[in-house]
Amino acid sequence: MSDAIDHPQLLAEIDAEVRRRRESGELPADFERELDLVFARFAPVHAIGDDFAQVLERTEQSTHIDVLAPVASRTPGLGFVKRVIRKGVGWEMRYVAQQVSTFAFGVTRAVRLLAQRVEHLEQSGPGAGGRLLAMARAEAPPVDTAGWAPVVLDAVKGAPGRVVHAECADGALVAHLVEAGVDAYGVDPADQVPPPGLELRVDEAVDHLRAVADASLGAVVLSRCVDLLPLGVLAEMATIVRAKLAPGGVAVVLSSQPGAWTGVAADLAPGRPLHPRTWCQLLGVRGVSTMEVLEAPAEDGGASGAYAVVVRFPG
Amino acid sequence: MAAIHQFIPTFAPRDAIGTHARHAQRILRDMGLESEIYADGYRGGPRGQAQSYRSFARRGRARAERTWLLYQLSTGSPVFDFLMTRPEPKLVNYHNITDASLYRAWEPRVCVELAEGRRQLRELAPRVELGIAVSEFNRADLEGAGYARTTVAPVLVDLEAARVAPDAATVSSLGAAKRGGGADWLFVGRVAPHKCQHDVVRAFAAYRAAYDPRARLHLVGGTGSHAYLVALQRYVGALGLAGDVTIAGSVRQSVLAAVYRSADVFVCLSEHEGFCVPIVEAMRERVPVVAFAAAAVPETVAGAAVLLGAKDPMTVAAAVHRVLSDEALRGRLGAAGVERASHFTLERASRRFRAVVEDLLQGADTGCG
Repeated sequence: MSDAIDHPQLLAEIDAEVRRRRESGELPADFERELDLVFARFAPVHAIGDDFAQVLERTEQSTHIDVLAPVASRTPGLGFVKRVIRKGVGWEMRYVAQQVSTFAFGVTRAVRLLAQRVEHLEQSGPGAGGRLLAMARAEAPPVDTAGWAPVVLDAVKGAPGRVVHAECADGALVAHLVEAGVDAYGVDPADQVPPPGLELRVDEAVDHLRAVADASLGAVVLSRCVDLLPLGVLAEMATIVRAKLAPGGVAVVLSSQPGAWTGVAADLAPGRPLHPRTWCQLLGVRGVSTMEVLEAPAEDGGASGAYAVVVRFPG
Repeated sequence: MAAIHQFIPTFAPRDAIGTHARHAQRILRDMGLESEIYADGYRGGPRGQAQSYRSFARRGRARAERTWLLYQLSTGSPVFDFLMTRPEPKLVNYHNITDASLYRAWEPRVCVELAEGRRQLRELAPRVELGIAVSEFNRADLEGAGYARTTVAPVLVDLEAARVAPDAATVSSLGAAKRGGGADWLFVGRVAPHKCQHDVVRAFAAYRAAYDPRARLHLVGGTGSHAYLVALQRYVGALGLAGDVTIAGSVRQSVLAAVYRSADVFVCLSEHEGFCVPIVEAMRERVPVVAFAAAAVPETVAGAAVLLGAKDPMTVAAAVHRVLSDEALRGRLGAAGVERASHFTLERASRRFRAVVEDLLQGADTGCG
């Protein structure tokens, strides 16, 4: 009987329905993530992933030691015995718990202060983000992602899932892809009103990619963030991209040659553009089916300094 | 006279492994073999069906000519150390060991037991004549642990005996709720981290938000982790679903029958299942199953359920919506489920178990065992 059910077709239709629901905007964009965050409030520290702020918050909550052990019991009389024991040893439990709580609170307070110092270093030094990155972003020349539209379209055609462009700026490339019938959306840290019919989410590229389910994307197009972020973050982003792509997925990097990157933005940015071959290394040469590096010609016929790396992963 | 005695870490006559052990004992005795059940612990039900494993050594000399010790293995236990000291040939009936990492954050003690179980599984391998797995998934696990001779015999569960008259009061209350509209989701299984009831709640919340604000969720099963149960209850409360999600705990068979009868869909999002008897029960009751394709679940359902490769809330919600809104699909899933469940009748499973034991005895007679 089970032969009568076309499972691949059924799953494809369910996927299409999920996409339709998400795109419709009937539910808040972060609705699903919010469901996870709510559960994380009640899960043990070890079970809530690597979000430092959340881990620290949960640890702080657990510094208070509850000395009132439950006394309910289904066995007649046992509840009374438990209450008597609790009352009898309560003064000693409170005495010990007070010291343990004080110690735990002191440790978490120290960690909180340490976190503030690290954050300050990140903000003021050549770290991952903060003030300097925001200034570099403001000064950086616009990336002509729309100019790469034919290359990107060719690369992501038939991708096994949704296509995300991060950072998408005004969404010009996303608009091209959507017009061509590609199920694409964009992510950018700048809060802007998206043109009608475009799905543009406000988030940092790396944060968004981290939050997406593994093996759920058909293609990831990266631009702008790849010119500004430090090497450590880019290496992490490459790892995340590989994890989030479905089998047969495609990664596209739109960036500039390191030598072409000059000006105020270059001085301020925590990172520098990478050589195209570096991206091939970061995205993992071994697991790759095909890899292309395309140079954009300059208007005068010379090299423009912009390039695209297209990496296809095995299906 | 030959004997096959069973050893089990904790004997709970009503849980899947306890039920399996009781049926195995009946089959062995019907075959004219001597068979007792020995356990380290005892939980629930009338006592007297199992003895302490320590008493096995004190049984004196009234031993059968040939005696095998059959270990029902699902976790780490001191029973292993005892078995390792025994000279009798050993058999393992493997029900799978949950990945310890799924418990690490919630129940460190259980995590240690599970990791210990894995170690014991490997150490037993060279001393075991035959590894009997309840699924091909489990057989692969046994082979990976170094077991040279393995076979598959499904879990012994009496689906027909479980079909008792539904509890009238439960039928009435569930019926009253149903008349108000909304679908009834169901999951049956111990409340434990690897069963991922929180994922079911998460998907249920998405389903209510996107499709059916009057839907209800019933979670049935005893407590496997108190910490996880508390977190689950708080999660349900924080989502504002306290009135729509029932965490029923362990219930009588008649109540369970009523819940199955009322269910519109059975949703299983476990990270680990060595077999999953409740899925078979749901299929037997024509309840369509939507499940996450993890561990032995794909083998258990064999195409008779909607199997998902991801369990993000919207995917699960959309799958359930599709099943409930597509009458033809629901009918096909129901029929396929009944057909699949028929593979796990007690009669069929008993025949298979008996054949495995007969092969073992025959091998021992001819010296080929």
